[in-house]
Amino acid sequence: MIKQLSQRLLGPVTLLLLALTFWLGLWVTPPDKVQGNLARLLYLHPAVAWVALYVSFGTATIASALYLWKRSRSLVMDRVAHCAMEVSTVFILLTLITGSIWGRPTWGVWWAWDARLTSTAILGVFTVAYLALRRANDDAELRARRSAVFAIIAAINVPIVHFSVDWWKTLHQGATVFTQDGNLLVHGIMLWTLFISLVAFTLLFFWLLRARYRLDVLRGERDQASLEEALVQRRREGVH
Amino acid sequence: MPSADATFDLTPVAAPPSKRRGRRRTIGVLVVLALAVLGLLSQGLLHSLNYFETIDQAMNSRARLGTETIRLEGVVEPHSIVRTSSGASFWMSGGGKEVLVHAHGSPPQLFQANIPVVVVGHFTSSTSDSFYGTQILVKHSASYIAAHPKRVQAPNGTVR
Repeated sequence: MIKQLSQRLLGPVTLLLLALTFWLGLWVTPPDKVQGNLARLLYLHPAVAWVALYVSFGTATIASALYLWKRSRSLVMDRVAHCAMEVSTVFILLTLITGSIWGRPTWGVWWAWDARLTSTAILGVFTVAYLALRRANDDAELRARRSAVFAIIAAINVPIVHFSVDWWKTLHQGATVFTQDGNLLVHGIMLWTLFISLVAFTLLFFWLLRARYRLDVLRGERDQASLEEALVQRRREGVH
Repeated sequence: MPSADATFDLTPVAAPPSKRRGRRRTIGVLVVLALAVLGLLSQGLLHSLNYFETIDQAMNSRARLGTETIRLEGVVEPHSIVRTSSGASFWMSGGGKEVLVHAHGSPPQLFQANIPVVVVGHFTSSTSDSFYGTQILVKHSASYIAAHPKRVQAPNGTVR
């Protein structure tokens, strides 16, 4: 009952929160003291990056680990990991695009080879390689095992991306929201809008993941039905 | 007429796994991945993992740096910006030291006093405090504060 209700509400709540984010971000929040209206990208870029790095890549990694763990080994986990990684690829691409759009007017360049940007690009290459690796193997068990191992190894890059701004000197700004001492860096309604955007994009990820998973299941069922239909036809040909 | 099932064995069988082909493809993917990562890393490393040098670091190793092109980071000193026909000149400070920057080209729109910047360029000599810049990058902070927090909105919607 609760599961059905939450599944039914996921889409509308996501759309509502996204609309709220854009309304607050574009019309209600004030311009920033230094960046002016450019700071409105604060309600888009960090939320997209949050989903790309932590939520979607994290889901793919956890699902991969659960697949490899003997007690929970099932192709359902492999399917979840695959779908989450596909969504992660899209969000990493969006992270790089929105970052570039923000970088050009603020830094003065579309791209800089600093540690944060380079490590994020490498993570994007890892997600594409994961998807290519899946296509390289026809055997379902082998594909699932190799992909899961690869996803876990690739996840080592996530903390590198996260801490890159602390470990090295980067053009990219340091940690958003809090300093290392725990002091708030974003103020007033700007902070609330940022939090709403994080929740909205997190829900958007789960909505997309659910849709992608259902599509994958339907595709599997269709392939199975096509195979059975082909077998029936071959049998009929044998009769005549 | 004999039934089809009696003549042919039509039981579905799994295709033999093409392990060799799969392995070859996997190796291909991993090789392409390694090349792509190495390409990205070499770009990152060639342009240095630490994106810039602070002013005090650069001043301490000025003799070694000579007129080598580097990225220099510091804060633009207030009341020091002079717009020139070719760009801008300004004093930049960091770690208790100052450098006079002569930058060529138009600065980014956020360029202003008291803002951290990274200037690509070189010292004019191995003993000089003068830095010739070819590009200015603004390194904004992670602090976001309303531009006019004391402004109020009137009932008719205008901001005062």
